[in-house]
Amino acid sequence: MKTKNITSYLLTLLIIVVLCSCKQEGEYHPITDRIEAEGKNYHGNLTSDELLAGTELIKITEGDHTFLIPERKGQIKLFACIECHSKPVSQMNGLNEKKAHWDIKLNHANGETMNCTTCHNGNNMNNLNTITGKNVDFNLSFKVCAQCHSSQFEDWKGGAHGKKVAGWPPPRASMTCVNCHDPHKPNFETRWPSIYNTEKAKERKEDLEH
Amino acid sequence: MSENKKWYSLDLGLSKNKKTSSSCGCGKTSGGCNNHGTKNTQPTEMSSEDFFEAAIDASIGDERHRDGFEQVFDVKMDRRTAFKKLTASLLIGAGAVSTSCSSFAGDDTKEKAQIDWEEQFKGNYKLMTNEEKQGTINRLMRSYELRTGKNISMTAENAEEDVLFGYAFNISKCQGYMDCVSACVEENNQDRNSQMQYIRIHEMKDGEGFKFDNADDNYYHEVPAEGHFYMGTQCFHCDNPPCVEVCPVQATWKEDDGLVVIDYDWCVGCRYCMAACPYDGRRFNWSKPQVPENEVNKNQHYLGNRMRKKGVMEKCTFCVQRSRKGKNPACVDACPTGARIFGNLLDPNSTIRWVLENKKVFRLKEDLGTEPKFWYFMD
Repeated sequence: MKTKNITSYLLTLLIIVVLCSCKQEGEYHPITDRIEAEGKNYHGNLTSDELLAGTELIKITEGDHTFLIPERKGQIKLFACIECHSKPVSQMNGLNEKKAHWDIKLNHANGETMNCTTCHNGNNMNNLNTITGKNVDFNLSFKVCAQCHSSQFEDWKGGAHGKKVAGWPPPRASMTCVNCHDPHKPNFETRWPSIYNTEKAKERKEDLEH
Repeated sequence: MSENKKWYSLDLGLSKNKKTSSSCGCGKTSGGCNNHGTKNTQPTEMSSEDFFEAAIDASIGDERHRDGFEQVFDVKMDRRTAFKKLTASLLIGAGAVSTSCSSFAGDDTKEKAQIDWEEQFKGNYKLMTNEEKQGTINRLMRSYELRTGKNISMTAENAEEDVLFGYAFNISKCQGYMDCVSACVEENNQDRNSQMQYIRIHEMKDGEGFKFDNADDNYYHEVPAEGHFYMGTQCFHCDNPPCVEVCPVQATWKEDDGLVVIDYDWCVGCRYCMAACPYDGRRFNWSKPQVPENEVNKNQHYLGNRMRKKGVMEKCTFCVQRSRKGKNPACVDACPTGARIFGNLLDPNSTIRWVLENKKVFRLKEDLGTEPKFWYFMD
């Protein structure tokens, strides 16, 4: 009789434990759990194809990441550069030709670290070059930037740095460095905010007066 | 379709298929007049005593235990029946009015009255079928056209499968330019009179941490200001939203893609949600929102940027009219510094997932258990 009582007691306890451990629908849980659970069988339906339709894009693969970036050469007004730069820069120096690019002032690192040819290939103006003198296509200019700005490069590859071209669904199309930063002066300048809330300022003033 | 509806919608004789109503003039759903009794199923073989009992049950039911006052006032009536009675009587009045006025009123006026009437008695958007959603946005579009002579395009896209929206904000990148705020105001048709803004950019002193009391969210000087950093707040679209919990009329809820939305036509303006939100994410229309006609964004969503009215809540919807079409919210597109990252949390290859997995992210007031889908991070 006693054992029977104990077994039935244990049994009810077990049932209660099982019932309590079962998660109820809609029960509070961390968002990370939800992402993991619901993302398991992910198959997205939406695409950004339509939004990207008007933009010339090229596909790049860097490490584990493959994505699109805007094509660049077609956007440069005076490309190809050798139409003017028919000779290497060293030979064109001192010639009494019309001055071009007179408005470009290099404000990037300092003169000891960088000059024009740190990025531009003086012998083949149609290309950029790495520090070690390897040619880099203008479309892949991020490779030049990535030599020094390695942490920004990591973030950009993952998607933590920079902007998207359009839309959030795949395929991923990210702006490349030069779409936001002018490589000759890459810093963002200080400026006035684009909006000021006069109503809020008034309210605050009234609050202070009371 | 109409059989499964969870609310009563007004039939002004537009749909001809009138179902034979189970209600009768007596005003009760379960007995009370003799018309109901005969409908109840009775077994064919029944003793006369049983039959007598059943007949009494069917005809007066509970009421044989009650009398007088209780019988009259303690009537079992759900909301639907109550509305039925109410609208039925109103309908008669309105019918009379419309027929008597028909010789004076133009077709437009009549149509407008019809639209207003149907809008007045439509159900909660959350419970609508797709056809009903389409119906209401068609009415709203037509109503706008009748009132202003201009066309708007309004949609009612539902949440897409396998989508859960998330947002990340890079504190190191934000420079306080406020381009996001102005883009948001333009996109979402916010009231220009009260200068309502969903987004706040807080200017905080370096080295003092997050002190919202000391922060300035309405600065006007060149930015970024020396010795300050900037961070933005807006609706965080919590996964466990306290604002939804407190709404007494269920006018706000969480959609399947994680957006916390408001049915502006169901909101009663009690502002409980505003008090419940720990993040100052909700705004109230103290007056009728005013947007100059030429500045109205005409690409609208029922749950998003359509024109609001006086006395209702509104807030950031992650630009539902854009995000459900695959676009980024206006603030994300407008930000010149790339501080704002938006995407699908369920897509393992999305950039937002990379940020969550590879950057040191945190959320505001995490200990409240609200589970915001809005993360902050630094370079």
